[in-house]
Amino acid sequence: MRRKKVCFVGYGSTEYSRKSEASVLWYYADAIRDALRQTGLHKKEIRGLSITTQVSPDYSPHVAEQLGLEVDWVLNGDYGGGGGVMSVRRAADAIECGHIDVAVLVGGNSFDRSNPTQRQLEYQRGNFVDVYGYGGPNSLMALIQRLHMTQYGTTLEQIGKIAIAQRDNALNNPQALFREPMSMQDYLNSRMISDPIRLFDCVMPCSGAECVVLASEERAKKITDKPIYLVTDAEISHYQVANMLPDKTTFGMKVVGERIFSEVKHQDINLVEIYDDYPIAVMIQIEDLGFCKKGDGGKFVDAHDLTYRGNFPVNTGGGELSVGQAGLAGGFLHVVEALRQLRGEADGHQVKKAERALVTGIGWLNYGRNLGTTAALVMERR
Amino acid sequence: MAEARAPQKSLPKINKVDQPYWEGAAAGKLLLQKCKSCGKVQFFPRVACVDCFSELDWIESKGTGKVHTFTLVRVPRNPAFKEEVPIYYINVILDEGVIMESRLVGDAKEKVKLGDRVKVVFQQTHDPNIKLPCFELAN
Ligand SMILES: [Zn+2]
Repeated sequence: MRRKKVCFVGYGSTEYSRKSEASVLWYYADAIRDALRQTGLHKKEIRGLSITTQVSPDYSPHVAEQLGLEVDWVLNGDYGGGGGVMSVRRAADAIECGHIDVAVLVGGNSFDRSNPTQRQLEYQRGNFVDVYGYGGPNSLMALIQRLHMTQYGTTLEQIGKIAIAQRDNALNNPQALFREPMSMQDYLNSRMISDPIRLFDCVMPCSGAECVVLASEERAKKITDKPIYLVTDAEISHYQVANMLPDKTTFGMKVVGERIFSEVKHQDINLVEIYDDYPIAVMIQIEDLGFCKKGDGGKFVDAHDLTYRGNFPVNTGGGELSVGQAGLAGGFLHVVEALRQLRGEADGHQVKKAERALVTGIGWLNYGRNLGTTAALVMERR
Repeated sequence: MAEARAPQKSLPKINKVDQPYWEGAAAGKLLLQKCKSCGKVQFFPRVACVDCFSELDWIESKGTGKVHTFTLVRVPRNPAFKEEVPIYYINVILDEGVIMESRLVGDAKEKVKLGDRVKVVFQQTHDPNIKLPCFELAN
């Protein structure tokens, strides 16, 4: 639980594009401008800036210069897909300490080819994976999914139901790049990428950015009449790192979940925004967070309606699977969608009772195990 | 020049930490690190024991183990591997008790199931000094 109250006071998003070569700096600016418009804040009131990206021309102080921001706190929120939730935690710490009272956190990506530092994700363990013809994240999740299916009897249909429900959620989300309905046949028949991972298990890389604005409670009340409170938050990096025979089907989210749910109750969560680089990752996190037992994710999915209309709303805007993954903006997409829901601004995909949301972030694929970073937070409307 | 630009299959960028491992592989030995203090065996090569942070020795693995999980890579990250798809990318549990990511080779690989016994084989790369530890189904 936070010692002092910290609030989300606004958010900003850009349009997503599959091909845009606009500079990533332009995307940051567009997302921040959207958030300033919503909050009525002047740029000079931003006293903290965090940047999360794979393609920044330089680190966070350089980005602050480019954006013309004089700040008292700057962060390179470099935690892979955990970057959204983990940057929120760092900013909340700084606000709680009194270093700053307003922080803007941005995640973004673009395909700007003029950017000389643009590169594929580099895996520091490349010597021990790339040399074999590794398929990247698709292969890592395939190794995990095969184990889950074999050990627990999880079916492709159960995993596919997650992708299909999220597509349903995306149909009325104008930001989503995929707004055509997906059937189980579409899912099952999609091209094999790294067995058993199929094309419709994978996210579409795209250009875009997301931004969230945090403030102290005192300041938040002056900025908006819809402050959303950060209730509790937790993270762990490199769970099981010293275990040479790790359980590949359990993420650090298990530890994060134990911490989160020592503060709040499962039944008090109205909706979950779960980092969805793959449907199997969503299922495993549902288990790790204790919504069901390890291995029962398939049965849980069978027993619940995962759409925004359902009894267990998951990734209510379509998630990264249907909206698109604008690089590390992916970790912010879930925070922003939760804010839309809790503020009652999710036109066309609004959850009826949206008072408390759980948001997760996972990232940084590691050797022989699964995820290097795992984090979650709970936010609520008061 | 065109030839120099054609994609090359990835080779390890050998460094001070993993050099003994690659020298071992070139000589047909699969080497693992073992802690000088607590005896923990670990993989991949690191600068300290993951349990007690002590210094490390190298030991030779028996090179045997079982398939923990596998995937058939159809879209390798490095396009130079495209001609070899599907690539049987595996996680092996070595008998010394560590997970190793590798590749299953050999004619019988299509029959692989979780739990199958495997043994190491060393595959020559396009660099004459570098061999890759891969695995074949045992028996
Ligand atoms: Zn030791």
